[in-house]
Amino acid sequence: MSAMKEFTKGFIKENPVFIMALGLCPTLAVTSSVENALGMGFAATFVLVASNIFISLLKNFIPSQVRIPAYIVVIASFVTIVDMVMHAFLPPLHAKLGLFIPLIVVNCIILGRAEAFASKNNVYKSILDGLGMGLGFTFSLTILGVIREILGAGQLLGFNVLPSSYQPMLVAILAPGAFFTLGFIMAVINLVKKK
Amino acid sequence: MEFLSRIFTIAIASIFVQNYVLSRFLGLCPYIGVSKKLDSAAGMGMAVIFVMTLASTFTWLIHNYILVPLGIEYLQTIAFILTIASLVQFVEMAIQKMAPALYKSLGVFLPLITTNCAVLGVAILNIQSTWPNGDKFNFIYSVLQGFFAGVGFTFVLVLMAGIRERLDKAEVPESMKGMPISFIVAGCMALAFLGFAGLKF
Amino acid sequence: MKFYLKLGAILLLIASIASGILAVVNNLTDPIIKNNQLETEKLARKEVLSLAITFEEKIDKDFKYYCGKDDNGKIVGYTFVAFGPGYSSTIKTMVGVNLDFSIENIKIIYQAETPGLGANCSNPDFPDRFKTLTVKDMKVDKDGGKIASITGATISTRAISDSINKGLTSLIKAVTNKEGK
Repeated sequence: MSAMKEFTKGFIKENPVFIMALGLCPTLAVTSSVENALGMGFAATFVLVASNIFISLLKNFIPSQVRIPAYIVVIASFVTIVDMVMHAFLPPLHAKLGLFIPLIVVNCIILGRAEAFASKNNVYKSILDGLGMGLGFTFSLTILGVIREILGAGQLLGFNVLPSSYQPMLVAILAPGAFFTLGFIMAVINLVKKK
Repeated sequence: MEFLSRIFTIAIASIFVQNYVLSRFLGLCPYIGVSKKLDSAAGMGMAVIFVMTLASTFTWLIHNYILVPLGIEYLQTIAFILTIASLVQFVEMAIQKMAPALYKSLGVFLPLITTNCAVLGVAILNIQSTWPNGDKFNFIYSVLQGFFAGVGFTFVLVLMAGIRERLDKAEVPESMKGMPISFIVAGCMALAFLGFAGLKF
Repeated sequence: MKFYLKLGAILLLIASIASGILAVVNNLTDPIIKNNQLETEKLARKEVLSLAITFEEKIDKDFKYYCGKDDNGKIVGYTFVAFGPGYSSTIKTMVGVNLDFSIENIKIIYQAETPGLGANCSNPDFPDRFKTLTVKDMKVDKDGGKIASITGATISTRAISDSINKGLTSLIKAVTNKEGK
C-alpha cells in the first residue's frame, strides 16, 4: 500500500511541476510540441530512476560531507549517456531538445529526489519514487505540450486536429505562451483545491 | 572597432534580444523563487553575475586546454557542473573570510546558484556560440557573454521583484494568488521582450 | 588530514568509474552519430542535385564542396553545406548549384529554430524561395535581395540566405580558379 503511494504521489499530490514548481526551465522551454514534451519527460525519467537506484545503493558508501558532488557526478554521467544515446538513435529529437538535455543535470527535481528520498530509502522504494516523480513530470510536460500545440499550431503530435479555418494562435508556442499556460493551469489547480 | 561592435552585439543579445530568462528559459527557478523582495532579488542578481563571469572563464579554459587536447569532449557536462559546483563553494568560503559584510548579503544565495541552469547554460553556450562568419567565440567574448548573461538575468529578476512587491497590494482573484499570477506577469514580460527580437545590427 | 584524503579518494573513485563508463558508451555511440551525419548529408546531396549520380569531394583552402557527375562522368553541378547562426541554433543547409551557379535546390539538414516561426524553414515549400536565384539576389528582401522571408522569422531566413551567399561566393571562386589553371 505504502509502496503504491510512493509511486502515485508524483502525479497529483506532489506533482513536481504544478505543485512544487520545480524543474521549470525544461518545462517551459521544450513544451512547444507534444513530441518534444514526451522526449524530455522520458529522458528525465530515465535519469531520475537510474540515479535514484545508484544513490540508494551507494548511500552507505558516500560520506555525507561529499554527498552533493558525488550525486552530481552520478547524475551527470546518466545525463551524458542519455545525451549520447539520443544523439545516436534519435537525431531529430536531439536537435530539438538541444541545450536542454545537458541541462537535465541541474534540474532541481533530480538532485532534490536524490537528497530527499534516495539517500534515505531502499532501492525498491527509490525506484518507485523516481518512476512516479519522473512520470509525473512527463505528465505535466505533456499537458502543457498538448495545450500549446493545439492552440499555437492547430496540431497534435504533428497531425492537424483543428479545421483549417482555425488561425493558429502563434503566441502559444512562443515564450510568453509558455508562462501564460502554466499560470492558468496552476490557477485551475488552486481553484479545484479550494472547493 | 570590430571588437567594440562585437562586444555591443553580445551585450544587447544577452540582455535583451535573447534574454536568458524570458527568451531562452534558463534560470527560471530563482526567477520565480527569489523575486518576492526587491533587495533579495538584487543580492541574488549580483551573486549570479559574479559566478557566471567566473564560470565562463574557467569552463572555457577547461574545455579548450583540457577536454579538447585530450579528445574527451564527451565529459563536458560532468566537467562543467563540477567546475561550477566547486567554484561556488570556493567563492562562498573566500567571501566569508575576506568580506564578511558581503557574505551576509550574498551568502544565502550562493549555494542556490549551483543548480541555476543559467550558469551551466551559459558555459555550454559559450562553447557552441559562433559569429555569423563561422568563427567560434574566443576567450574574451566568452567571459563577456557570461558577464552580460548575468546582467540580463539580474535585470529581469529585479524588474520582476519590483512588480511582485506591488502585486501584493493589488486585488488578485483568490485562485490566482501567488504562483499563478507570477507566471502571468512573467508572460507579459516575455511578450514585451519579444519586441526586441526584430532588432538588427 | 587522513579523513579528507579519504573523502577525496572516494570522490575520485566515483568520478573515474563514471568517466570509464562514459568512455565505453561514447565509443559505442560515436561511430553511429558520425555515420548518421554522413548518411543525412549523402541523402541530402542526392536530393538537391537530382541529375547527379556520383559525387566527388573537392577542397579549396578551407572550403569543401562536391562535384556532382552524371553517368558519363560529366559534371552537372555542385553541392556544398552552408551554415550560419540563426535565432536559436546554427542552421545547416545543403545547397545544390547548377553549372551557371544558380540554385538548383536546397535542403535544411539541421535547425532548432522556434517552432511555428523559424522552424518553418523545414517545410517542403520553403526551398522554392531559393530556386533559380543567383548570388546577387541571394539576400533577404529587406536587405535588397529577392528572398521572401518567413513571416516573423527574418533572422532565420537571413541566416540561411547569408550563409548560402557566402558559400556560393567561395564556390564560384574555387571553381573558376581551377578552370583558370
